[in-house]
Amino acid sequence: MTVAVIPALRTGPGYWWHSFVMMTRWEIVGLRLLLPITVFVQLLTGAGFVLGVGLFFGQIPSRAALFLSTGVIVITLATVGLVLGPQLIAAQKAENTYDFIWSLPVPRSTAAAAWIVTNAIIAVPGMVMALLVANLRYDIDLVVSAAIVPGALLTLYTATMLGYAIAHTVKQPMLINLITQVTIFALTGFSPVNFPKEQLPDWLAALNEFLPLSHMANVMRAGLTEGVVAGLARSYLALSLWAVAATLVTAFVLRRRA
Amino acid sequence: MTDWTFRAVDVTKSYDDGKTFANDRITLHVEPGEVYGLLGPNGAGKTTLVKQVIGLLKPSSGTMNLGPHDLVDDPDAARQLCSYLPQAQMPINSFKTHEAIAITGMIRGGTAAAVAARRDALIEALDIGEWRDTLGAKLSGGVKRLVGFAMVTVWPGRVVILDEPTNDVDPLRRRLLWEQVRRLGDEGVAVFLVTHNVLEAEKSVDRLAIIDRGRILAEGTPSSLKQVDRGRLRLHVMLAPHTPTPELPPFVEDHTRVRSNLIAVISEAEAVHGIGWAQELMGIGIAEEYALAATTLEDVYVRLTGDVAAREPASS
Ligand SMILES: Nc1ncnc2c1ncn2[C@@H]1O[C@H](COP(=O)(O)OP(=O)(O)OP(=O)(O)O)[C@@H](O)[C@H]1O
Ligand SMILES: [Mg+2]
Repeated sequence: MTVAVIPALRTGPGYWWHSFVMMTRWEIVGLRLLLPITVFVQLLTGAGFVLGVGLFFGQIPSRAALFLSTGVIVITLATVGLVLGPQLIAAQKAENTYDFIWSLPVPRSTAAAAWIVTNAIIAVPGMVMALLVANLRYDIDLVVSAAIVPGALLTLYTATMLGYAIAHTVKQPMLINLITQVTIFALTGFSPVNFPKEQLPDWLAALNEFLPLSHMANVMRAGLTEGVVAGLARSYLALSLWAVAATLVTAFVLRRRA
Repeated sequence: MTDWTFRAVDVTKSYDDGKTFANDRITLHVEPGEVYGLLGPNGAGKTTLVKQVIGLLKPSSGTMNLGPHDLVDDPDAARQLCSYLPQAQMPINSFKTHEAIAITGMIRGGTAAAVAARRDALIEALDIGEWRDTLGAKLSGGVKRLVGFAMVTVWPGRVVILDEPTNDVDPLRRRLLWEQVRRLGDEGVAVFLVTHNVLEAEKSVDRLAIIDRGRILAEGTPSSLKQVDRGRLRLHVMLAPHTPTPELPPFVEDHTRVRSNLIAVISEAEAVHGIGWAQELMGIGIAEEYALAATTLEDVYVRLTGDVAAREPASS
């Protein structure tokens, strides 16, 4: 039995990729007990949301149904990134296991990248389910185009990194949970995601221009519909700024040491 | 050739705007192949010190270097060069034992085959094969601790930091663990070991520091620390509950009292008198039993860290 005393520090793209793959494995195995139930809950909430709103309003016009079903998947994704993800990190802090994970010899960016992949694995099945159910239940014209790929990636990235930044910035696990709950409540309650922004009072619509959620809805919807979304370039720009901000905050927080 | 000695110089860590010092100008070094023990009472600052080595905390002042690397400035290097078993439990509830060890080894840079071979050897050496396929959530505390030990030593790097590795581990497996600690040293790894188990540490460490309230009180090999006690014996008298400390005969050079335990230090030449005195105490019902033994590192530890006697209510 020989012990490997490591020859030199590892650097470069090979090191980054290996670390990313291993951290993704670490996260996925780490969620083994939680993953099936979480995905199941996402499937149920995705389908439930779509059907529930329909029940509530009886007959809904097809444009409203289109807004609703494309909005639900954004809320699914945002909830995973902004609430579920931070809760898992809060649990690590509460259980005192945070230190070990942060002592692992990987670039911090690979841990973040693995985290994004994990969030996608949790969120995507529910999103697909919501769209399928909507397609069956309502008379809607989904036109899936290649634009869904950059739209979904940017939305996933921004939502996950915002949650990640909050979870790593705030020290107290309880406080993390509180902040993320309030955030998602405010965002989903007062953002034009499931309905057009014309239905909001002017000031609230104006405020939402500066918040990420309506832009997420726009870029996602643009990849699933035709002739519904306006101001797409603007939404991409706004969302990119949010993505950059979340990345900078995360990078800063992860380098900071107490 | 690079000198891979770990050196901490004047490391100070203060909390609450400099009101409390968890570490106060700590200077020490650990050479490759050396097992270095860090002993001290609760709150002494041991965990604080090792967390700074791995970059989880940043010193308020002072330097830490490993070979050519400045560990304070370059925490990325610190994490590659050092592996760390935290005092807290490991996050392995949904990992099977063999997975947890293998994945950590590969994260640390080992190839799959090499890591697997070492993992299997460690599982065997620590006698935890019975739980090879068990999920972490179903492991007992001690086995989980051993799995954690295997995780951080399967691909160790140059420095292995162990914060109370033997917690919860049964006496037989504790021996197996100490054997592996020694082995790491033999193979050139510098081991930085925090423990409360003074007697076991005495057999396994090359050098140690005893720290209290953030400061190093004494440092050296176990035998050099016991030097002052050479030629002396410890007479351990178990007093009857609630008895005041009896009057000590003149040949008792030093003593400590912790609850009902009275430990008197006497010279070897006075052994016969010591036994006579202890039997006398038993005869009049003040003492319940006694034992005479060579001084151990624990005596040194108790003398240095403590007026444990003064901290405890004398009458209890
Ligand atoms: N975040 C913090 N803020 C203020 N004080 C702290 C903080 N963390 C630790 N301390 C203090 O620093 C001192 C050293 O703590 P440390 O955890 O290093 O002790 P230790 O030697 O590892 O003890 P133990 O044997 O109980 O594990 C303690 O007095 C502790 O209260
Ligand atoms: Mg400690």
